[in-house]
Amino acid sequence: MNRVVSLTLWIGTVAGVAFCAAAALADAFGHPWAARLAKLGVLALFATPPTRLAVLTVEFLAHGRRRLALASGTVLVVLLATAVRAAW
Amino acid sequence: MTSLLLLAIGFSAGLLGALMGLGGGIIVVPALTQLFGVPFRAAVAASLVTIVASSSASSAAYVGRDQVDLRVAVVLELATVAGALFGSAVAGLLPVLALKLLFAALAFYVAATLWLRRHAASDSMQVGSYEVRRWGTGLGVAGLAGAVSGLLGVGGGAFKVPAMTLAMGLPFKVAAATSNFAIGVTAAVSAYLYYGRGDLDPLLAAPVVIGVFVGARAGTRALAKLPAKRLQGTFAILLLFIGVRMVWDALGGGR
Repeated sequence: MNRVVSLTLWIGTVAGVAFCAAAALADAFGHPWAARLAKLGVLALFATPPTRLAVLTVEFLAHGRRRLALASGTVLVVLLATAVRAAW
Repeated sequence: MTSLLLLAIGFSAGLLGALMGLGGGIIVVPALTQLFGVPFRAAVAASLVTIVASSSASSAAYVGRDQVDLRVAVVLELATVAGALFGSAVAGLLPVLALKLLFAALAFYVAATLWLRRHAASDSMQVGSYEVRRWGTGLGVAGLAGAVSGLLGVGGGAFKVPAMTLAMGLPFKVAAATSNFAIGVTAAVSAYLYYGRGDLDPLLAAPVVIGVFVGARAGTRALAKLPAKRLQGTFAILLLFIGVRMVWDALGGGR
């Protein structure tokens, strides 16, 4: 379980940081794509917590820990509801 | 020069997050508002992004090394979210000044307890090397932290780490790693709302995020080497600082 959750966190973090680094570089050279790249970086970081909650929920279910899966799933639903509300 | 300073701010926040399980808002928000003249809401929004980044970067390492108590993290996350929902529902009904003073009093008490008990802090970093006790206290504190965090802008790690250490029996380093894992979700909830309102400037956050990543990586390595009693002592001093700032705020010093 730990390996899968850790991998999910790594992918989200590295993607977010890579876009942010590209944005900072583009900004330093006055490239017009800087703002878009920064936005992509932020969105990649924003996607990481719900993704790791989804992975955690599935992993808890797979290991027969239903109560923890329910707790994790509930937090995921609240998080997604907030994201949808923010998008509106 | 500006980018280097933003990187340094991010580095400090990432290091603090990885070592103490704190969000880093106590560094990022004042630095952005006072050094760069960034409006308060924009600074808070950037700070929330850095907390998500710091939590993800540190947790990726800690979870991989089995240093995060996933069971405690998930249950406390649920209590925090429930507390946050309750807090937002009764936001207009609560006397913020009294809450700030209460928060400060609690911070002073917890800081003193952590400081006095620092010599008994265990250096263990392994999940399962202890027995989790007093779930009720942990859940109550996590719920309270969630409720006041939206109102006062602090409270996540500041009270969850002491609750896990002093009440629930987790070693300080495991508590810090577990708090770090959990605060990413709490910060994300607020970050989405700030982003939706258009308060976030991604170009301002980008260099800070890079610094956070480097700081968090350094912090996850340093945690294993630093003695728990020193970390717990430093946490107590930081909590004292947060309490003093809260009193200052309550008395109108920030205005």
